[in-house]
Amino acid sequence: MSMTINSVTGIPLRPRKHSKLKKLPFYICMVALSSLILFPILFLVLTSLKSPTEFFGRSVFSLPRQFTLINFSKAFIEGKLSRYILNGLFLCALKVPLGILIESSAAFSIARLKIRFANGIFILFLIGMMIPMQICLVPLNIGLRTLNLFNTYSGLIFVYLGFGIPFGILILRGFFRTIPQELDEAAIIDGCSKMSLFTKIILPLAKPAVATLLILDTLGTWNEYLLISVFITNDNMRTVPAGLLSFIGENETAYGLLSAGVLISIIPVLIVFIIFQRHFVEGMSGALKG
Amino acid sequence: MHSKKNLSGYIFIIPAALIYFTVIVLPAVYSFYLSFFKWNGIGPNRKFVGLNNYYHILFEDVIFERAALNNTIWILLVLTITVGFALSMALLLNRQFRGRTLFRGILYFPYVLSGVMVAIIWTWVYHPQLGLISGFLQLFNLQEYYSSPLAGVKTAFFAIYAAALWQGFGAPMILFLAGLKTIPVELYEAATIDGANRSQTFINITIPMLRETFVIVFATQIISAMKLYDIVYAMTEGGPANRTHTMATWMVRQTFIFANVGKGTSIAVVMVLVLMVVIIPYVMFMAKDTGK
Repeated sequence: MSMTINSVTGIPLRPRKHSKLKKLPFYICMVALSSLILFPILFLVLTSLKSPTEFFGRSVFSLPRQFTLINFSKAFIEGKLSRYILNGLFLCALKVPLGILIESSAAFSIARLKIRFANGIFILFLIGMMIPMQICLVPLNIGLRTLNLFNTYSGLIFVYLGFGIPFGILILRGFFRTIPQELDEAAIIDGCSKMSLFTKIILPLAKPAVATLLILDTLGTWNEYLLISVFITNDNMRTVPAGLLSFIGENETAYGLLSAGVLISIIPVLIVFIIFQRHFVEGMSGALKG
Repeated sequence: MHSKKNLSGYIFIIPAALIYFTVIVLPAVYSFYLSFFKWNGIGPNRKFVGLNNYYHILFEDVIFERAALNNTIWILLVLTITVGFALSMALLLNRQFRGRTLFRGILYFPYVLSGVMVAIIWTWVYHPQLGLISGFLQLFNLQEYYSSPLAGVKTAFFAIYAAALWQGFGAPMILFLAGLKTIPVELYEAATIDGANRSQTFINITIPMLRETFVIVFATQIISAMKLYDIVYAMTEGGPANRTHTMATWMVRQTFIFANVGKGTSIAVVMVLVLMVVIIPYVMFMAKDTGK
């Protein structure tokens, strides 16, 4: 905790210049750590810009002599990444809002409506977090095939919704509880229905938690590998992770191509991450207060 | 009168409850039932074998024992190294300084990558000829002494962990940051006025005030360590010599590759039983009415 201001008098305890200089080692430390984290990504970028001959011929650390975007266009078209990305976006666009709606409505009821057994219901939902997805695979497989939902997005989204519910309710219920209870009473007295209390008052106030969930859920859906590789066998319907893996199988050491593929597939999540990261810590702390 | 009014509150839960029941509860119960049979997953021939599947995996299957050990090692690594690193980073980021959001974003960034992508990146980092490490050693002409740690039976699992550490410390770091934000500044001011130094305030204020965060971090980390799948599968598929299997990868292999549905589901049931030990206290903790 750097305390440079006396909280009682408001007078800085140390002259400003001094404290800035004192921060130098700290900044060096931060920059070093960040570079360490970004190191592999940096080489991904470098490698993706090299032609195959250059990659095999020279050291990994060499700068590309000739910048080329051929890897990107190849990954995008031949690697069918454009297809996988569209599929991923489509799944996220459907699953994430639908999931948040279902989870928040349940969390709203548990946290705000004073229903009986609210805690018991919450515990039942939370227990879902301890069930490894893998245990459900065989029965889900049988079920989806019987209902002709195997190899369909509707089936997959239904399964995604199910596995998202415990965590979504955990986060949202935690945040909803931090909103003052008097608000509900005032709203009900003013003749507000439960539905409009939910959509017009509680949900808008829970923006940080919703934003947090939006990021996590989008990431989770975008990155999901196990379920989609079991329930979707049609290659044209796959998303980025499974697509990239099969891409590897065909191009064992074409690291230029792979790097380009990885970089392209990072971009969408990066955008979501940058837009919503402001709300992130706030939303998490709401969930923490439980 | 009162209860009638409250009944309508349950309507809001119905969609979530229905989906949750069909996707998680029902299949989990059915799997539990299947774990008492010998079945290949397709044909009509299901043979009831009682507890045989459990007996087999617990006492005869050396790969399962290895996998269980691996999960245990992973939990220990995560609880010490990952959590320690995440907490230190959170403490650094909790200061007031310019560029905080940027640094926070960078440190958290690998977490947005999927396990599969991390596996692709790190398999390349470790690659015996074309990778980052071998390229670095090449600069000093030491490349000939290098072999990929993913190929060694003793090193492979730790090599996977290194990749997972790189990817995963961001999540507990954000949780710790959120926890640190809830500690009132006055506590530190009072302690400083009383002449406490940094390590004293850390031990006597920060750690106790982060108690709830620690519970959440430990529980979520143990849960994901028990379910560990993606990154292991994508980096080694359980190899070399079946040394890097986790319970989850071994379960999937038994079920979907070897078509031993009974054995696969019994592994999953064992996973759930072990997880219960962690989760039930955690769930109780999360559900209790604290403060307010």
